[in-house]
Amino acid sequence: MIDTIIFNDIIHGLFVLILGTAALIINQRSLTSLFNIYAAQSLILAVMAIVLFIEYGTLNLLFIAILTLAVKTIFIPLFLHKVLKRISVKRDLQFMFLSPASSILISAILIFVVYLFFTNIAGDLFADRLILLVGVIGIALALMGMMVIFSRKRVITKTVGYLTMENGVLLFSLFMAEMPFIIEILIVLDLLMIIVLSAVLAFGIDSGMEEFHKKLNRLGIWIED
Amino acid sequence: MNWNMILYTVLNTAFVLLFAPLLVSLIKKVKAMCQGRRGTPLLQTYFQLFKLFKKEIIYSDNSSFIMRISPYLNIAFLLVASIFIPIVFIPAQESGFGNIILFLYLMVCARFFMALSGLDAGSTFGGMGSSREMTIASIIEPTTLMACAAIAFILKTTNIPEMFGTVLDGSILQYPTLFLVPSSLFIILIVETARVPVDNPETHLELTMVHEAMILEQSGPKLALMELSYGIKQLILMALLINILFPWGMATDATAAGILISIASFIVKALILAVVMGVFESFFAKIRFFRLPDFFMIAFFLSFATIVFELLS
Repeated sequence: MIDTIIFNDIIHGLFVLILGTAALIINQRSLTSLFNIYAAQSLILAVMAIVLFIEYGTLNLLFIAILTLAVKTIFIPLFLHKVLKRISVKRDLQFMFLSPASSILISAILIFVVYLFFTNIAGDLFADRLILLVGVIGIALALMGMMVIFSRKRVITKTVGYLTMENGVLLFSLFMAEMPFIIEILIVLDLLMIIVLSAVLAFGIDSGMEEFHKKLNRLGIWIED
Repeated sequence: MNWNMILYTVLNTAFVLLFAPLLVSLIKKVKAMCQGRRGTPLLQTYFQLFKLFKKEIIYSDNSSFIMRISPYLNIAFLLVASIFIPIVFIPAQESGFGNIILFLYLMVCARFFMALSGLDAGSTFGGMGSSREMTIASIIEPTTLMACAAIAFILKTTNIPEMFGTVLDGSILQYPTLFLVPSSLFIILIVETARVPVDNPETHLELTMVHEAMILEQSGPKLALMELSYGIKQLILMALLINILFPWGMATDATAAGILISIASFIVKALILAVVMGVFESFFAKIRFFRLPDFFMIAFFLSFATIVFELLS
């Protein structure tokens, strides 16, 4: 058990850091820093799970923390760095539809919209203010990940978008361990993540989407009309 | 206007005037040391100002009265703005004093006249600097306003001395949302003082320069006033950041011991922040001009997030 005020402060501070890393993921151009920021974000999530474990004592949280630490702060970034060494691309300078500045602006608006939604429509579900905050930040983080997916051109950056999205859902589920539906979403997202990672590994990680489709087409996996 | 207020005004202004050049040279020194050089002595900016005050003033034939009055206006606006940021002690409330919106407008007025004087001499270089400065200003102003609005919203007041008092009375732990503010204030500080990712205050030569290009046509004591007002701007923005986050040690009434303690603690905090700024600057290369909005947007995003955080907690 920690003192309630200090507990709230730590949680708030960690939320702040998570939002900061999410903003950096949206406009970071160097791929190496992108992976490092992702690792840092996952580390913050792991720390948050540990803090929650100390507060509530649910063993589940400890497992989540260990899993996050092992897979998302160590394994996936290492793997991505390793892949990066083999390809010639070091930066992702191409953005589609949105410039980084406008996507950050839009994500600020997204946070506000999610907030409005949660307080006006789903307000009764969340009696606790902290849970409400977690809901808003978690969903906003997932939406920001989605924005990374569609505003970046390189497949490898899109992958980081997926991973950010998954982090958002994980954040949401950390505070509501009893919701099995969330876990299901998490698993589905994990699956997506694995598919993207392995596909990317198999078919030229340094290509854009169009070339990627062509490659898949050639192999008969993706039929284009 | 009582005696307390007059004492405060005199002391605060004197402190700002005396201390501002030291921070300018400290940041230069830290940067030099990061680059493996020995750097200039810490008092170099004072010597420089002293030397400039003794020199003669030369104006371009094309320049008008704007060139002549803008250094005075610039330093006057910034000195008035500096009174709004209590450093020596927090004075009792006066009506019409210390409003954060007025503070921002004073800073903008100073910037406006600086840009105007850059245009006035008719040299292309100064004009380019002014044009760039105004471009940057139009992007950073909304961010600054948003950050100040966030602080005002958290602390439930638009009065700067009252803000400091509120944080000083409680603790920062009562306002966990305030954790979000320093990063956006820091970015604003970097932009407003024309530091490295945005501009380079060291050089007159690069085409990237913004601030230095505007004051290029000034000479002698007028240049000294411009340099000094740059130092003051930097100091008051640093003081805003420091006193909102770590106001401990600041006196709330005008006793000699209290004032000494608050000055001493402020000096220590400001020196630490200056070292942080110098090191931060050494880690970064100048950002391309058209990429600057990305950098500012992070500050905007964090300020906006602060407001949503505060709505939720």
